[in-house]
Amino acid sequence: MGTAKVRRYQVPVFRVTEARGESLVPGTGQQEVELVFDALGDPGRRALVASVAERGTATATELASELPVTRQAVAKQLGALADAGLLRATRVGRETRYAVTPQPLGDAAEWLVEMGGRWDDRLAALGRSLARARAAR
Amino acid sequence: MELHVERDVVFPAEPDEVWEALTDPERLEEWFATEVELDARPGGEGIFRWGDGEERRAVVREAEPEERLVLDWDDGGEVVLELEEVDGGTRVHVTETSPQFAAALELHALAWAQPRYAGTRYRSFA
Repeated sequence: MGTAKVRRYQVPVFRVTEARGESLVPGTGQQEVELVFDALGDPGRRALVASVAERGTATATELASELPVTRQAVAKQLGALADAGLLRATRVGRETRYAVTPQPLGDAAEWLVEMGGRWDDRLAALGRSLARARAAR
Repeated sequence: MELHVERDVVFPAEPDEVWEALTDPERLEEWFATEVELDARPGGEGIFRWGDGEERRAVVREAEPEERLVLDWDDGGEVVLELEEVDGGTRVHVTETSPQFAAALELHALAWAQPRYAGTRYRSFA
């Protein structure tokens, strides 16, 4: 299987709407957006998506070789990312090879996912900061 | 089109402790951004820098101590932080509103029509 480095992204066509909570991408319901939120809510999984993207395609074994985690743990996370539509899984012999799905979400929905992830990280850090300040009193 | 990200978290801390962490630049550097300058009074300015080179500027629209802080980002977005004393601590409700997406729609459509290297879109998540 060749590793296509260059891929063509589809031109997004999303409805411009003022309504909150409406579907942002044709054929992408709120439920799918939430799946993506969950999948990218974890910094480790976000880093995995980035690693797969950098390599073009990757298997759990390849990714685990450069991470301090087991192959099984990586495989589980990759499976969750594939379920959310962020990675595409292709079976090659005994291994599953993953690639980043081109443009699973529109630009607007991507903002939602990225900003949501940032606030999750920030609020966790705020909690630690408050605990430290209290301990120092 | 505007989008909203909302989060609601209860911290085991008094509202004054949380307010300090939300408004004191040194405390903000512990959780919000890498480098922070902020005058947390209505009309005051804020500059936030992150390790990856990103910089965002804001103006304080509202600052009700221990209750409500509203920042207007210079890209048109805003962030509202609301505090409420509850059993066991302080509830922090965050609402970040995106800039308008509609105006940029055509440009993005053009940009996306070009081939890109895999990974470009996701690097910011890492």
